[in-house]
Amino acid sequence: MTAKAPMNLRRLLIGSAVFRLALILYGEWQDAHMEVRYTDVDYLVFSDAASLMASGSSPYKRTTYRYSPLLAFLLLPNSVLHRSWGKFIFSASDLLVGYFIYKILKQRKVAEDLCLYSVMVWLLNPFTFTIGTRGNCEPIVCAMILWILICLMNGKIIQAAVWYGLVVHFRIYPIIYSLPIILVLNPRYIQLGNGMEASTRYNLWTAAKSMFSKERVLFGLVSGGIFFLCTGLFFHLYQWEFLNEALLYHLTRADPRHNFSVYFYHIYLQYGRQLSLVEKLISFLPQSIVQLVLISTFAQDLPFCFFLQTVAFVAFNKVITAQYFVWFFCLLPLILPWSDMKLKWEGLGCVGLWMGAQLHWLLWGYLLEFKGQNVFLQLWMASLVFLLANASVMAVFIRLQRFSPIFLQIKVSDSKSGVKSQ
Amino acid sequence: FFQDCILKSYFSKHEVLSDSSFRDLLQDELSKFSCKLLPGDPNPQLTLSGLERHLIGEGSHRHLSSTIQLQIPPQSFPLQSCKLVMIERLPSGVFADPFELDHLLHHGAYAAIGVFGDTNLELPSVSSNRSAVEIHMNFKHNTSSGAMSELGIRIDLPLHARYAPLHESGYSEVAFGTPDLLVSCSMEGSSEKRSCLIVPSSDSNRLRTDVVVWKIPCGIMSYTNVVSVVTFATALVSTLVIVLPSVLYSKPR
Repeated sequence: MTAKAPMNLRRLLIGSAVFRLALILYGEWQDAHMEVRYTDVDYLVFSDAASLMASGSSPYKRTTYRYSPLLAFLLLPNSVLHRSWGKFIFSASDLLVGYFIYKILKQRKVAEDLCLYSVMVWLLNPFTFTIGTRGNCEPIVCAMILWILICLMNGKIIQAAVWYGLVVHFRIYPIIYSLPIILVLNPRYIQLGNGMEASTRYNLWTAAKSMFSKERVLFGLVSGGIFFLCTGLFFHLYQWEFLNEALLYHLTRADPRHNFSVYFYHIYLQYGRQLSLVEKLISFLPQSIVQLVLISTFAQDLPFCFFLQTVAFVAFNKVITAQYFVWFFCLLPLILPWSDMKLKWEGLGCVGLWMGAQLHWLLWGYLLEFKGQNVFLQLWMASLVFLLANASVMAVFIRLQRFSPIFLQIKVSDSKSGVKSQ
Repeated sequence: FFQDCILKSYFSKHEVLSDSSFRDLLQDELSKFSCKLLPGDPNPQLTLSGLERHLIGEGSHRHLSSTIQLQIPPQSFPLQSCKLVMIERLPSGVFADPFELDHLLHHGAYAAIGVFGDTNLELPSVSSNRSAVEIHMNFKHNTSSGAMSELGIRIDLPLHARYAPLHESGYSEVAFGTPDLLVSCSMEGSSEKRSCLIVPSSDSNRLRTDVVVWKIPCGIMSYTNVVSVVTFATALVSTLVIVLPSVLYSKPR
């Protein structure tokens, strides 16, 4: 953050900050005066866990706390300063994401007005400003992912690896980015120190040296080391409760209760039944195939790869809750400058299709949960439509995206350390 | 009087709620208290004259409303300080949210309220055990009129439905029993001149008007194969919708 941010970005950030502050204050009022709370139930869970930690107990004594102890640690001031401390932290992270988006696009030589429009896509998205002000912690994860991108773009591999290890410990899903990051750390594009000597010979040895390059090995070791260090430390402090709630729960979660996922009704109908190995594998297959194809095609355009992978990961997951959408909303502004999609009618069409499918699902969900009608079949069909809508939107994005790798190939004549960002 | 939590004592000895073992424990606990007639008073005692039960709301989140009609005998002292304890043994398939009950407690609705047993908020019915709620409520009653007085106390308990076991009709029915009720009244400021009333569930059952039944929508087993096949087919089609444009994607040199 060296250059002084231009006036317009500053105004945008200040305006967004003021608006978020107003929302937090409104949230306090609504919680105290209305039946339905503004604050997310999860925030109350984090706060309770933080109070337990403050009194020396395990945060996992709070049922449904399924996060890293780091989150409870961050929210310790909730019990000391003010219960809304956490909301301020999350909203500040959300503003930081806006700043990082600007920084990344500016580094990629995008024009000023396009940078600002892209930042607005994040800061002015109603989903974005409600999620932090309601007390959801996802903006922190988004800020970390974007910071990792910035570090990689600037050749700071160790820093990127440290943050990557931390973010995987915090939320697990970013593990899907490991392969594209490793692929993009191709010694032809990014080298530490004096780098490899150019060689016209290509044999098994040079191929192996390239696959296990210094940069890749360093990234793998450092990020893996940080992840296992955090896991080891918290296992030492909180034992199996930590492993079960913060890690294993997310890996084995199969919630039969209704959610956006296509698999919810299948899971409910099969609940309690032992699934065969084939059945278990089949449910992993679509997700795995899509991830591998996306990575092998788009890894060099890292932000676009991350975006597509995240949309697919969420759409094919066994459980989908609305907060997961933020994971790709923060990446969307990073790819828009290279999209040939016009607002009319491709852009609006995508927004309409995606939102329409969601609203359609929510309608059936309301009838089931709040009116007690048996609409399981209709709700399940709505989730099928939602998956197809996600896939279709992804197909449109792919078709209209201009491929833009984040690194250019280093020329053989460059002898100094080479990171040439595009 | 009735300071201790009966359910806490039950669950310290039992893992799972069972009606018969709870009845035994209740009898044991209550034998410690003797409900004597106040000296000098002829017949009248505290009696339960009516119990109305309603399930209010629609969908998975409702309130169980209990209106308890008490007949309170006249006393020589002007004000009675009373305590009501209600124990609601919930049927399998519904649960009370302990955090929601805490919220009620902080709003001063009750002197004490707690849920015991299986308080897991997420698991479906087939993987859950029963739970029970104990509510302690204090109230005052003016007895200077000289005649028997009627008092109606309404208790609203917020409840939530668990995901029900599969049934071909598409609905699972959960029937509620009646609560165990304990009432104790004494002269304001003194615990000596005390009258009390104990109405276990089996007795309050005779007073209720209708059986309260909650119809919870549930999955239909005969759809299992179709749902699984179509789910995976849609996942496959979606995979192709993404994979084909990716494979055909042309990158500039």
